Amino acid sequence: MALIEVKNLKYSYDQKKPAVDDVSFEIEKGLYYTIIGHNGSGKSTIAKLIAGLLEKESGEIIIDGMPLDRENLYKIRSKIGIVFQNPDNQFIGSTVQDDIAFGLENHCVPQEEMDDIINTFAEKVGMTKYLHSEPTHLSGGQKQRVAIAGVLAMHPQILIFDEATSMLDPQGKAEIKKVIMDLHENSGLTILSITHDIDEVVTSDKVMVLYEGKIAMFDTPEEIFKDEKTLVKLRLDVPYCLKFANELKKYGVDPGHEITTEGLVEKLWQSSLKK
Amino acid sequence: MAIKFEKVSHVYSDGTPYRYVALADVDLELTEGKMTAIIGQTGSGKSTLVQHLNALLLPTSGKLTVLDKVIEAGKEQKGLKALRGQVGLVFQFPEYQLFEETVLKDVAFGPKNFGLKEEEANEKARQAMAMVGLGKEYEERSPLEMSGGQKRRTAIAGILAMDPKVLVLDEPTAGLDPAGTKSMMELFRKLNKEYGKTVLIVTHDMEQVFAYCDEVVVVENGKIRVHTTVEDFFRDSTECRKMGVLPPALITLKEMLRDKGFKVPEGNLNIKELAKIIAGQVKKHG
Amino acid sequence: MGNFTLGRYIPMDSPIHKMDPRAKICAMLLVLIAVFMPAGWLGYGIIFAVVAGVILCAKLSFRYILKSMKPMMFMMLFLLVINCLVMKTGTPLFTIGSFVIYSDAITQTLYIVVRLLLMIMITTCLTATTKPLEMTLGIEDLLKPFEKIHVPSHEIAMLISIALRFIPDLIDETTRIMKAQESRGVDLKEGKFTEKIMAILSLVVPLFVSAFQRAEDLANAMEARGYAPGEKRTRYKVLKMHKRDWILLCGAFALLAAMIVLAYFR
Repeated sequence: MALIEVKNLKYSYDQKKPAVDDVSFEIEKGLYYTIIGHNGSGKSTIAKLIAGLLEKESGEIIIDGMPLDRENLYKIRSKIGIVFQNPDNQFIGSTVQDDIAFGLENHCVPQEEMDDIINTFAEKVGMTKYLHSEPTHLSGGQKQRVAIAGVLAMHPQILIFDEATSMLDPQGKAEIKKVIMDLHENSGLTILSITHDIDEVVTSDKVMVLYEGKIAMFDTPEEIFKDEKTLVKLRLDVPYCLKFANELKKYGVDPGHEITTEGLVEKLWQSSLKK
Repeated sequence: MAIKFEKVSHVYSDGTPYRYVALADVDLELTEGKMTAIIGQTGSGKSTLVQHLNALLLPTSGKLTVLDKVIEAGKEQKGLKALRGQVGLVFQFPEYQLFEETVLKDVAFGPKNFGLKEEEANEKARQAMAMVGLGKEYEERSPLEMSGGQKRRTAIAGILAMDPKVLVLDEPTAGLDPAGTKSMMELFRKLNKEYGKTVLIVTHDMEQVFAYCDEVVVVENGKIRVHTTVEDFFRDSTECRKMGVLPPALITLKEMLRDKGFKVPEGNLNIKELAKIIAGQVKKHG
Repeated sequence: MGNFTLGRYIPMDSPIHKMDPRAKICAMLLVLIAVFMPAGWLGYGIIFAVVAGVILCAKLSFRYILKSMKPMMFMMLFLLVINCLVMKTGTPLFTIGSFVIYSDAITQTLYIVVRLLLMIMITTCLTATTKPLEMTLGIEDLLKPFEKIHVPSHEIAMLISIALRFIPDLIDETTRIMKAQESRGVDLKEGKFTEKIMAILSLVVPLFVSAFQRAEDLANAMEARGYAPGEKRTRYKVLKMHKRDWILLCGAFALLAAMIVLAYFR
C-alpha cells in the first residue's frame, strides 16, 4: 500500500484558477521524490495540503492508511515534517536548543528526555557546537539545518522540503543537499523535495513535474529527461549533459541516454576505446 | 572612467567593541558600458561595496568617483540625491519595496521624487514598464495582486524609470524558476546592449556570470581579489573552486573530458565547437 | 537606538544573573512597593544602600544606570518647575524677582526624583541581569495561578518570546526597506510635508506586507511542528528555586517590612 494516496485533489486561493487542479498520485514508502515546476505551478500548495496546513477544497488525501480530515489532523501532522523556504521565519526558539525543543514541547515529551534528543539530532545535522547560539549569529544554511533537526526530532515518516535551499548561498545549498542525501541513504525516511535544482532532481528516485496545477509528468529522472521538448514547454531546465549529447548527435555520435555528466563522459571514453 | 574606487575603506561601528572592517583599501575601476558580475561569499563585503555606488554608504576613508561625482571621506557631501537617480540600485527581493495602489503609480514614484511632474513621471514610468516587458494592461493593477516574477519586474521598472546610467542589481534572480531566471537575465542583457546601461550584478550563480557578463570582480574579506574578463576567469575551474562555488557546467564538462584523456584545446570553445572536437576524437578511434 | 540602555540585558557572570527570574521579579515588585512607603529620608537611604549592594553584586556599572536616567532628565526638570509654581507651603527659601520659592517645592521634587532614581535602579537590576527568554519563563510561571480566572499565561509568554525573537529581524528589515526607498529618491530627513507623508508610507506599507508574510510563515512552521494554542505541552526550560533565590525573596520581604515600620509605627 502506498504511504500517501492523493485522489482528485483540488484547491484554489481565489476564484480565478485552481492552484491545484484535480491531482491524483501515490507516494511509496522510503523513496526520494523531487517535485519540480514553474513558479505558481502548485508545488508548495500540494506540500501544504499534505501537511494539513491548508484545507482541501475537494478530493482525498490518505496518509499511512488514515484519511486526512479534521479528526485525524494532529495524528497525521506528527507523521510529517516540513522544512520551509525562509530560514528566518521558521526559527521559533530563541536559541538552537530551544528551537529543536519546540516540537518536543508540543508533543509533550517529558522534560528529562529532551536534552538527549536535542543532542542526538543536533549532531545529525552537525550543529552540536551551536546549541546555545541565537539565530542572528547563524548563517542561512545553519538555520535550515536547525530546522531539519527540529523536524527530525519528532520522528516523522515523511519529510517535505519546500524549496529549503532556494534562499541560501552556494555553501548553504551544498550543506543542505548533503544533509538531504545523507537522510535518504541512511534513515529510510520518505522524502519529498520541492526544488529548482536540476542536479538534485537527477539524484532522486522519482520526479513529479507540475504545470499550472496539474501533474504533467511523474516518473524516474531518466524517463523524465528523455522528453526534452516537453520539459522546455513546461518552463523547465534539462541537465547540461543532455544538451551536449544533442550536439554530439549532430556530428554522428550517439552517447545514449545519460543524465549525469560523469555518466556521459564515461560512455564517450568507452566508445572511443571499443572501436 | 565611470566608477573608480581609490583606497576606499568602510568600517562599521568604529571606536566600539563591535568595530567591523567591511571594505579595506579597495582600489577598483569599473568599465562603462559593460556588464560586470560582482561575486564573493556571504559577508565578503560585496553588499557594502555596492551600496557605495549610489552613496547609501559613504567611504570612511579613501576617495570614490561615480560618474561625475567625487566622494571623499570626511568631506561634506552635497548632491548625493542626484547620484541616486543616476545609479539605480535594485536590492535583493525588490518586490518588497512596492507600496502604491497601482503599478503605474509605484513605477512613477522614483521620478516624482526627483522633481518630475505627474505627467512626465508617468511617461517615464510607461517607458520603463515597456523596457521590462510589462504592457499597458498592467498600469492600473495593484502590485500586490501580481505574480512573483511580475512584481520583481515592476520593482526593477521603478528603478529604470529614474533613467539611471548605471544599474546595480543585488541577486536579481533569487527565488525565480529557471524560465523566470533566464528571461530576467535576458532583460539585463537588453538593457546593457540596447539601452547602453552599465550593468553590475551581484550573484552566486556562475552559469549566469559565464553566459551573460563581460567582466568579473571577486570580493574577499573586504578586498578585491580578482578583477578580470569572464574569459580569463573561466579559463579553468581554479577560481571557482577557490570560492567554493560550482563552476559553469561547460567548464566542468571540459575538465572531465580532459581527465579521461580527451584532447580539449584551451580557449573559449562553446558547446557546439566542443561537441565537434569530441565527436571527431570518438570516431577517429573507431 | 545605540544609546537606549534602559531595560537591556547585559551579559555578565554574576550571582544575580544566575538567580531564578521568578524570585527576581517578585523581589523587584516587593522593593518597588517599599519605595512607595512614606518612610522618609532614612528609609530611602536604606533602600538605596541595599539596591546599590545588589548592583555591585551584579557587576553593573553605575555609569550605565545613570545613562539610562538621561531620558528622564527633562521630565524631572519639568516637575521641579511645576512644583515651584504650585507649592506654597513650608518656609520661603528665596525669591526670583517677585516670585517666592518655598522649601516644600524643593523637598517634594527631590522625593519624586529619588523615588524615580530608585525605581530605575531596581528595574535595571532585573532587566540587565535576566535574559529575555528567562523573563518570559518567569512571567509564565508567575501568571500560572491566574489561569483559573482565564488569564492565558502560556499564550502571553509565547507572544512575548516570539516578539522578542523577531525584533532584530524587523529592525534589519526596516533598514533594508529604508535603503531601498532612499535608492528611489526618498528623502526621510528633508522635504515638504506631503513628501514626508509619502516617504513614511513607502516605508510602512512594505514593512506591514513583509510582517504579515512573516507571521504567516511562522504560523505555518509552528503548526507543522505540532503547536496548537491551548493544548497541553511540556516545557524544555524548567526553572528551579535555589537557596540563594529564597534568600533574595526573604531580603525583599524584610526590606518592605522595615519600610512599613518606619512609615507607620515609629
